[in-house]
Amino acid sequence: MKISTKFALVCSTAMLGTAAFGEAHSSYTIGITQNNVGVDSYQTTYEQAFIAAAEENDAVEVVVLDAGGDVARQIAQMEDLIQQEVDAIIIWPTNGEAVIPAVRKASQADIPVIVTNSNIAEQGFDFVASFSGPDNITQGARSAEIMCDRFKAQGIEGEAQIVQISGQPGYTTAIERAKGFEDRLPEVCPDVTLVETQPGDWNREKSQQVMEAFLVKYDDIDGVYAGDDNMGVGALNAAKAAGRAGDITFVGATNFAVGYEAMAAGEYWGSIYQSPVDDAEAALQTAIDVLDGKDVPFLNYFDTPKITQDNMDEFTKPVF
Amino acid sequence: MKNETRANLIKQGAIWAFILVELAFFSIAGEFLSVTETAFMDFDNMLLLLKQSAPIGIIALGMTIIMINGNIDLSVGATFALAAIVLLDSMTWPFMQTLGNWAIPLAWLFALATGVVLGAISGLIVWKTGVDAFIVTLGSMLGYRGLVFMYNGEQPTSHLNWTLVDFAEAQFLGLHTATWFLLGAAILLWLLMTRTVHGRNAYAIGNNRDAAVNAGIRVGPHFLWNFMLIGFLAALSAVVFYSESGSVNPNDGMLYELWAITAVVLGGTKLSGGYGSIISTLGGVIAIQLLRKGLGHIGADTETVNLVIGLILIAVLFLDRQLNRKGKEELRT
Repeated sequence: MKISTKFALVCSTAMLGTAAFGEAHSSYTIGITQNNVGVDSYQTTYEQAFIAAAEENDAVEVVVLDAGGDVARQIAQMEDLIQQEVDAIIIWPTNGEAVIPAVRKASQADIPVIVTNSNIAEQGFDFVASFSGPDNITQGARSAEIMCDRFKAQGIEGEAQIVQISGQPGYTTAIERAKGFEDRLPEVCPDVTLVETQPGDWNREKSQQVMEAFLVKYDDIDGVYAGDDNMGVGALNAAKAAGRAGDITFVGATNFAVGYEAMAAGEYWGSIYQSPVDDAEAALQTAIDVLDGKDVPFLNYFDTPKITQDNMDEFTKPVF
Repeated sequence: MKNETRANLIKQGAIWAFILVELAFFSIAGEFLSVTETAFMDFDNMLLLLKQSAPIGIIALGMTIIMINGNIDLSVGATFALAAIVLLDSMTWPFMQTLGNWAIPLAWLFALATGVVLGAISGLIVWKTGVDAFIVTLGSMLGYRGLVFMYNGEQPTSHLNWTLVDFAEAQFLGLHTATWFLLGAAILLWLLMTRTVHGRNAYAIGNNRDAAVNAGIRVGPHFLWNFMLIGFLAALSAVVFYSESGSVNPNDGMLYELWAITAVVLGGTKLSGGYGSIISTLGGVIAIQLLRKGLGHIGADTETVNLVIGLILIAVLFLDRQLNRKGKEELRT
């Protein structure tokens, strides 16, 4: 009698033990601290997609936090997630440098950190497991290909002249997109000349002014490459006002709703399609892969395909 | 008189009772709603709570004194950002780099001096023009924020110094560096407000400015000192926080003035002045950070946090009014 009670006790304890063990290992808890949900629809869609992806996956539970653009709050959220002993942390940095000490803290606590969308500064790379986001160099290169293919179709690839409106100086995204474009263009269309580059600061009005100046300065402009569609549409507006939009091929990077509409209207040629849904799903998948012990590249890019007037039916209109 | 002290005790105890309610709520709700195993009331979590309260907390302590005066300072967020820029940028100046780690205390000094100067500008204008502090500091808020953007455009100003980070992350007797600064500032200001002539004058001016003037209190210089004090505290908050993070966005510190005011009001300080307590403000700050932390712990999003804090703020003001009314009725009978 006594022995059997003991035996039963041992058995049930062992079962409890395995149950707890099984639970702890069948499911990962992943925390995410986002930059500023609600400030634009890209980030809003990102959050929705992230939560949806997590709900579909039984193997993960997520703690979804938003810093509201406030660095102090993001650092506090990092500390909270470390304190809650989550298995991995995904961070969309509010400031690529300010969060480095907080990221170091997580890495010291043996919690892998995945940076999403925009990377932190190089000093912090040692503390990061992986970066999941768009590859801006490839985006720039693909824009160059779109531009070149268009010139070939028009038969002007031997003499075309283009101008570039780049993003805000100092921004990695701006620098990388310009570099990708400038490196790729001579490879695919060696006879196309890039006559001038000016920053448009991600701003539509500024880009319009830059383009107005270009139009006065150059009589022959066959193409405009803009660091994003917002600036591209600004340039388009300037060209329309000058009555020269019909002769110019406009190519952007990161397709915005305004760019998509201009494409549908036949005024804007092409861009790069970057989906917040892909961005979010890639971040979650990267975190899971890191936790599974898979070999994840340090820079883990998700695909951002080309979009032009020819294939735009395959894509839904961007939400931002 | 006895009635009054009891009413005071109830009022000052209210915020702490509220904190207890929050703690109980999040501990219980956390058991069901949180996906993590660790308890909300974990000791380390409570230490973190104090540390995370520091940036807004240090500013709110100063705001208490300004509001006891019957004034308000909206420029603290911009002062915070500008002091942070001076702190981080000064460390990259050539002569500072030759100093090695001695550059750190010097950079702190520069940042704190910036805060004092910015506060003095607001204070002087309030003193010499007699324009309401709300309007003056609304102007200086915009102006100082303009300076922040002029300094480095839209780009962050950065300087990561690991010695500094290690200092800021250190824990002495279990408490984080930031916590020590918060508690130290709270004790000093509490002494200032309860044990000195300056403190008594602050209450007197807030209660009835004309009477204070007639009693021979020099109201203008008094305001100037207090604005310099809050400028100093905003800069101190920046020093404490940015020592640990090493990079400042040009829009950092935005809305900090409103969070600080929220904390002060939650702590029971009257918007019209003349009544308030440093310790209760500390309670208000902790209550806000607890809400942020707790709602995050049980999985609510940031919008919900703001909504809840807003609702609680209105509820507190309403309750306060009801309590005061009751007090008056009792006195009449």
